[in-house]
Amino acid sequence: MGIFDKLAGLLGLRRREVNVLVVGLDNSGKSTLLNHFKSEESKSSEIVPTIGFNVEKFQNKNVGFTAFDMSGQGRYRSLWEHYYRDCQGIIFVIDSSDKLRFVVAKDELDTLLQHPDIANRRIPVLFFANKMDVKEAMSAVKISAALGLDRISNKPWHICASNAITGEGLQEGVEWLTGQIWEYVDRRR
Amino acid sequence: MNFKRDKKEEESGEASNPFGNLEKTTVLQEARAFNDSVINPRKCTMILSKVLYLLNQGEVFGTTEATETFFAITKLFQSKDPILRRMVYLGIKELSHIAEDVIIVTSSLTKDMTGKEDLYRGAAIRALCTITDASMLQALERYLKQAIVDKLPHVSSAALVRSYHLTSGSGELIKRWVSEVQEALNSDNVMVQYHALGVLYHIRKADRLAVTKLVSRLTKSHMKSPFAVSLLIRIAAKLVDEEEKPLDSPFFDFLESCLRHKSELVIFEAAHAIINLKNVTAREINPAVSVLQLFCSSPKPALRFAAVRTLNKVAISHPTSVTNCNVDLENLITDSNRSIATLAITTLLKTGAESSIDRLMKQIASFVSEISDEFKVVVVQAIKSLCLKFPRKHATLMSFLSALLRDEGGLDYKAAIADTIITIIEENPEAKETGLAHLSEFIEDCEHTVLAVRILNLLGKEGPKTKQPSKYIRYIYNRVILEQAPVRAAAVSALAQFAAHCPNLLPNILVLLMRCQMDSDDEVRDRATLYFQLLSSGDRALTNQFILNNLQQSVLALEKALGSYLQGPTDAPFDIKTVALASVTSDELKPTVATPGILKTKPAEPKKAPVKEVSFLDEVSNIPDLARLQLGGLFKTCTKQPLTESETEYVVTSTKHVFSQHLVLQFHVQNTLPDQLLENVKVQLDVPDGFRQVAVVAIPKLPYGTPANAYCVLAWPEDLEVASGATIGATLKFIVKDCDPDTGVPDSDEGYDDEYVLEDVDVNLSDHIFGVTRSNFAAAWEEITTEREETYALSNANTIPEAVKNIVDFLGLHPCDRSDRVPEGKSSHAVALAGVFRGGIEILARAKLVLSDGVNLQLTVRAQDELVAELITASVG
Repeated sequence: MGIFDKLAGLLGLRRREVNVLVVGLDNSGKSTLLNHFKSEESKSSEIVPTIGFNVEKFQNKNVGFTAFDMSGQGRYRSLWEHYYRDCQGIIFVIDSSDKLRFVVAKDELDTLLQHPDIANRRIPVLFFANKMDVKEAMSAVKISAALGLDRISNKPWHICASNAITGEGLQEGVEWLTGQIWEYVDRRR
Repeated sequence: MNFKRDKKEEESGEASNPFGNLEKTTVLQEARAFNDSVINPRKCTMILSKVLYLLNQGEVFGTTEATETFFAITKLFQSKDPILRRMVYLGIKELSHIAEDVIIVTSSLTKDMTGKEDLYRGAAIRALCTITDASMLQALERYLKQAIVDKLPHVSSAALVRSYHLTSGSGELIKRWVSEVQEALNSDNVMVQYHALGVLYHIRKADRLAVTKLVSRLTKSHMKSPFAVSLLIRIAAKLVDEEEKPLDSPFFDFLESCLRHKSELVIFEAAHAIINLKNVTAREINPAVSVLQLFCSSPKPALRFAAVRTLNKVAISHPTSVTNCNVDLENLITDSNRSIATLAITTLLKTGAESSIDRLMKQIASFVSEISDEFKVVVVQAIKSLCLKFPRKHATLMSFLSALLRDEGGLDYKAAIADTIITIIEENPEAKETGLAHLSEFIEDCEHTVLAVRILNLLGKEGPKTKQPSKYIRYIYNRVILEQAPVRAAAVSALAQFAAHCPNLLPNILVLLMRCQMDSDDEVRDRATLYFQLLSSGDRALTNQFILNNLQQSVLALEKALGSYLQGPTDAPFDIKTVALASVTSDELKPTVATPGILKTKPAEPKKAPVKEVSFLDEVSNIPDLARLQLGGLFKTCTKQPLTESETEYVVTSTKHVFSQHLVLQFHVQNTLPDQLLENVKVQLDVPDGFRQVAVVAIPKLPYGTPANAYCVLAWPEDLEVASGATIGATLKFIVKDCDPDTGVPDSDEGYDDEYVLEDVDVNLSDHIFGVTRSNFAAAWEEITTEREETYALSNANTIPEAVKNIVDFLGLHPCDRSDRVPEGKSSHAVALAGVFRGGIEILARAKLVLSDGVNLQLTVRAQDELVAELITASVG
């Protein structure tokens, strides 16, 4: 690391660009969640089911996030793996009110974590227990038990309850992710 | 950095193309840069260009490679760089056909297409429509409809053009967009209007009434866009052509009014359309021609070229109309653009009088070396038609052609010249000697093997009949010494022809052939040995059969027959008579009267005939009922004969396939009723006495729109007279089931029997006879001795050419030595005819015709079988 980089780092001017992958089942609120991070004028008023993927950019502190918003529909889930190799963070969104499909979500999560491009890397995984405002929503603790998150040992992970429409809980999650990414990046040097 | 280095290399390297030495693997390696978390737009643009370059050079990408690259490209969507984004669109479009899961970019493209960045929108629409399929399209319909009526012209155009392309796959969906397209048609932008008209026409194309309405509405409204008007002219011209009385059509008036349009583009399109109408007369063409005449003196080269090219075309059909432009065309001869000059000259050659030929030839000679081969061919073809028109000028033209032959040029060009000379030789006996001399000089220095072989073959055929055959021997033998194997082989065959024809040359040629037997090539040696043995045996019959007459069997059929012969273990020798004969129809089609120019378009279809015969044999072997009969080799397939009117419920045509012992009738049945399903369709024949029905093959199911074949097989009667004149009544029998017109599923399992009376199938003499050419009629005539002679007065013909045609048609024999051409003004003529009767019996006939109060005919028939000869003489009259 050059002397200028160090200086800039100390002064908090250093900038990082990272790619994060936003995945989860369909209708869990991925696109809505990312829509919240966009600037006022570029926010879209209606969210339609994503086909394939979308790229969104947002900023937190001095980290520029390039988020690949993947489609959650069953037939497109197999396409996620094309983006595993070059992501530095994963955001997994879960619909907390959709108890029936927790098993499906767990299944997809397991496949993701066992993928060769992911399994051996210590990349941070952030879980959003989305739709916390819905009456029958489960708590974050219960969801983490349902998905068996405590078994993830080689990756830092964090779960937080969120409401993508109002933006509640999102900031907290992303701040955790930013911190993790700094750590991850620094360790790699 | 990378970009800079590339630039440096470009400057220092000799290769001007920076992409010249790209390797696919290296480029794909580089493409990994797309996966970086921080994208360098410049570098990525460069790499993408390389990928696109490779794709467009025809480099093959495997599915995995393509998919990998495609997904890497999708990651570039994170960059906001407009140049890179446009390259991404191109990359997506190019790879979409090879890569898998291209659907992944749908959302990203939809976002770009509806987004605020105008620059992206058109390109995004194009890319999006390439990757979607019919099922996805419905979800995108809303956006595309909006895009069609977008206020930005390029977005609207992109959407329109894409919908045009989509109509092939999902036409029904696009039809629902008509109102949006209509709106786009009123756009102020020239391109949008043009594209909208294109889409609208494409949607309605199938519905004639709707098209007529569309055109008549639009011809009244004055469209701004010259492109749209041009398209409208094309559509209108098509409608005019389909009408029975084209010139009364209101659309024709529209075409004429467009000749006074203010845009040159429209004027030209209108003139072009009028000239190309099917049934126009000189009166209608004249205004169009005069417009083109004005264009000839335009300062714009494109316009001059267009005008002269169109005039060149009309010159064939309406030479007199074009004559008015001759002055302007003369001026164009010296045009600095060589293409224009060439076309002008060839047009003049077509319209010009005999007196101006010498002058024009001089003009052409002055610049012929400057034009490209392609145009030289045009010139040569013009000269060819000229030769046919003015046979007396052959000396000038021939010397010009031989000068051309000596020039540098590609194979196509040389072949065109050689073709022309050969045609002239065949058409004009006076030119034969000079033509052959030119050609034999040409092969002295000819680098094209194909041409040399052709010319040697021609020399072998024509040379012996000239006054001094010995002078060609030197040319031919030179080939044997100097050329490569295929040419040597052809030269040996040519020598043998000379020897067989001219007994006084025989001893000398035998010496030459003896030398050829030492050749290093197998084929040459084989030929030389064969010919040497044949010729030294002194047996006229042998030489006639193997040297002078060429192979009559169709080569394809022979190959097939030999193949199947080798497969089955048999001791019986191979019988060449079972092999289908080569049809000579393609030769007959050459126009008997010299009609310049049309030559190019006429032959083509009938040349497939031998292939058809072979394919029918294939068909037979696929139908178990027919294959069981062991029909043997096909003798002849007659032309199709309709058994119904063309617009009835069931359309049936029959084809007679003649085998040595059987007659196979093939019925091609088409069901034109969408609400009926026919089952068990067969043809019941009213079999005449003597014939015996052997097999009937029915069509199990005949749905709407897919024609199928039913067959009947009859055995020929013993008595030839019965066999050569019979009428067979036919009835189509079938079970009808009503069905749903859309799905084709029958409403119930119950059907009812029905029948449909067809027209009779006629069997006549010519079905038994297959016309073949004899290159040496006289020699063949001497061989056969069984002869019948008869004299008739022909009542149905008044002129000799008419009588000749009738005889040839009736007998099915093929005229030899071009004796079917009757010189004008002669009161008597002799025709030599040759053919083979069913079962391989050779027939030769001489017909002497004398004009006196109608036409008198003396027909002498020689055949290997007495009965056949008698049958033929008996059936004429």
